Amino acid sequence: MTAHTLSSTAERAYWLGRYLERSETTARLIAVHANLLMDLPKRIPLGWRPLVEITGNLTLFGELFGEVTERTVCRFLINDPRHSGSLLSSLSWARENARTLRGIIPKHAFEYVNEMHLEARDGLSEPLSRSRRFEGLSRIGEHVQRIDGFMSANMMHDAHWRFLRIGQFIERADMTTRVIDVATGSAWQSATGLEVFADIQWRSVLRSLYAQHSYNTSVGEPITQGPVIHFLLNHRGLPRSVAYGLNSVRNSLRGLPRNELPMRAVNRMLRQLGQTAVQGLGGAELSAYLDQCQIGLSEIHDAVRQTYFDFRPRQRRASGAGPARTTRTG
Amino acid sequence: MSIDWREYRTDRFWDELITPKGRPRPGAANLCRVLGKLTDAELEERKTAAALAIRAMGITFTVYTGEGSGSIDREWPFDIVPRLIQKREWDAISAGLVQRVKALNRFIDDLYHKQTILKDGVLPAEYIRNSREFRPECIGIDPPHGVWSHVCGSDLVRDHEGTTYVLEDNLRVPSGVSYMLENREVMKRVFPELFEEYMIHPVDDYPDQLAACLRSLTTVRSPQIAVLTPGIYNSAYFEHAYLANAMSAQLVQGSDLVVGRDDRVYMRTIEGLVPVDVIYRRIDDLYMDPEVFIPDSMLGVPGLMRAWRAGNVALANAPGCGVADDKVIYTYVPEIIRYYLGEEPLLPNVPSYRCVDPTEREYVLDNLDKLVVKPANESGGYGMLIGPKATRQERSQFAREIQANPRNYMAQPMLLLSTAPTLVDRHAEARHVDLRPFILSGSSTYVTTGGLTRVALRKGSTVVNSSQGGGSKDTWVVDAE
Repeated sequence: MTAHTLSSTAERAYWLGRYLERSETTARLIAVHANLLMDLPKRIPLGWRPLVEITGNLTLFGELFGEVTERTVCRFLINDPRHSGSLLSSLSWARENARTLRGIIPKHAFEYVNEMHLEARDGLSEPLSRSRRFEGLSRIGEHVQRIDGFMSANMMHDAHWRFLRIGQFIERADMTTRVIDVATGSAWQSATGLEVFADIQWRSVLRSLYAQHSYNTSVGEPITQGPVIHFLLNHRGLPRSVAYGLNSVRNSLRGLPRNELPMRAVNRMLRQLGQTAVQGLGGAELSAYLDQCQIGLSEIHDAVRQTYFDFRPRQRRASGAGPARTTRTG
Repeated sequence: MSIDWREYRTDRFWDELITPKGRPRPGAANLCRVLGKLTDAELEERKTAAALAIRAMGITFTVYTGEGSGSIDREWPFDIVPRLIQKREWDAISAGLVQRVKALNRFIDDLYHKQTILKDGVLPAEYIRNSREFRPECIGIDPPHGVWSHVCGSDLVRDHEGTTYVLEDNLRVPSGVSYMLENREVMKRVFPELFEEYMIHPVDDYPDQLAACLRSLTTVRSPQIAVLTPGIYNSAYFEHAYLANAMSAQLVQGSDLVVGRDDRVYMRTIEGLVPVDVIYRRIDDLYMDPEVFIPDSMLGVPGLMRAWRAGNVALANAPGCGVADDKVIYTYVPEIIRYYLGEEPLLPNVPSYRCVDPTEREYVLDNLDKLVVKPANESGGYGMLIGPKATRQERSQFAREIQANPRNYMAQPMLLLSTAPTLVDRHAEARHVDLRPFILSGSSTYVTTGGLTRVALRKGSTVVNSSQGGGSKDTWVVDAE
């Protein structure tokens, strides 16, 4: 009897990958943004709004808080239970998916995910001082790296593993495009439009994607919009670039059955990426292009879902999958 | 203090290891000598080794905490002093179990076909009519080999005189067998030297035997077998995952399965729909198919009964088999054995009095202070009278009810359950035990070697459930020394 991979467990592995990645990037974004604000002079009114924009949940934020302050934004992004995209929501969905994958992922991997969730729940609860917040957020990154490394080294690299990776890299590529989109969007541009602060802004973007050192060593150009965007979208050696993510998704898909539909979606997007000279794009063109990228990613997601998870005649979503991120409004 | 067998007290109970005079029973001498020689530190070391093995092997059971999704996994409570059964004695018990399960399967098959046993007046027809476990949906179905209860876990107890009785037959979805298997693994790690000295009959062929039993339920050459679990919050989830893994079967939940228009069962995999031939279901009948039973069951598979009735999938255990797993039916098992097999029962029931019989009713009414009275159609200990612990008022209340409605009651004497030495701190104390062997029925029959010994860890208690302070022991079927 050959072992089959159930659609339900494949789907949970996929979402585990997505939520782990989302937790890490959310934590990193908040920490880096807070850091950026400290470097900008007071008269530049950048504020906390761009972070809410990145999550695509401006409307919900408006309903819940109205006023954009450090406190409301951090609460919204870190531990508001009403916000399905908050860090703690992501962590608890990661935990739930890991828990329902017992017997499929290594036992310790679940324990690590669980530990991370518990630590964040206690350590990132309000009231939160800036230094405690910073400490708590950087711990998330450490936790996710540990889980990631442990699974990579100890889990069977079977179909479940492939789905985990696909989820992880789709999420990662998605986050990279969101960060670029917001950095080139109106809020940042009007706030930091002054030449002298542009490099601070792009350095911050690179840092939020763990890419500053890589940029310096492999690009060798000054930190400005064109080369940074090109680097983050197209560099095949940068683990957080969109091209790298797509290649990883493609590699994982290669070992899966019936992969034609998702493979086509990935190849289409890779082609598009290769054909566009992003350095030259500005303003509206760039924004439209980034929207294209996000549509491409959500087409890959849909192709994976339709092919492997939701082909059932009868529907009821696996309860552990949790909500997908709402489509961007901004 | 290390273990000093001279100080071990068996009281008025039968002890599984030690005679009333403080001597090891036949076969137990080596074990008692080895245990008695261990120093405090060594005993502590073995205990720690067992606890570590249990943690490392991930042997857990799930306890509901009651709040929200609240359930936690606890490590399995395990006592390192094994319970011994002589091979000769076990062979006799085993033969009795085979006989019993064979008759019960014939009985269930008869109830869903001609009902000759009712027509012949051996059993009152209204007992079946009133049975909550009788499923009219199963009438006329012919499961392979005429077997309905493929996995049966019977609870055995021994009284103060040393007689082994069947306390109940769990014919529906009995659990515990994975702990029997894991207990043996733990003991091999903790007392390897004893396995060299003894001829301890192995238990580890159970998953293969179960897989063979399930395969015998289909004509498909290499069938796809699935273990259907209610999911991770079920208290026996560990076992479902364990058995699926040990049999290389697929562990599935209801939502993973779908019944097609062709009345076949499929599982949804990343390769597409894959046909399933045999389902070892670990969910209750009533949750199995919302088309037929509880309509809003989230655990089941719509159309599963259709597929089963069409003979396209084998279900173990078959739906409706619980009809023979009922307190009043239990009192008829000796008659059931005589009726279908023409044999005398090899294993006794706990003596039971049916209140419907005038002579037996009179005895029950005269001895209410010594008896346990159980209602016919209740389960889970609900509506019971425990005579020796009840007040005079409660007893006379029950007496009136028995007289008004004698068919609804049966009574049993209070059993003095046997004990086995159990480690308490660093010495051995007597604790009550029972035994659950598992009987597999397909094209052939198999009985586990021994079974799962459960032990009430609290002094004087007879509650062996793991959720209520119960633990377990490895059970050794041994050849005489």
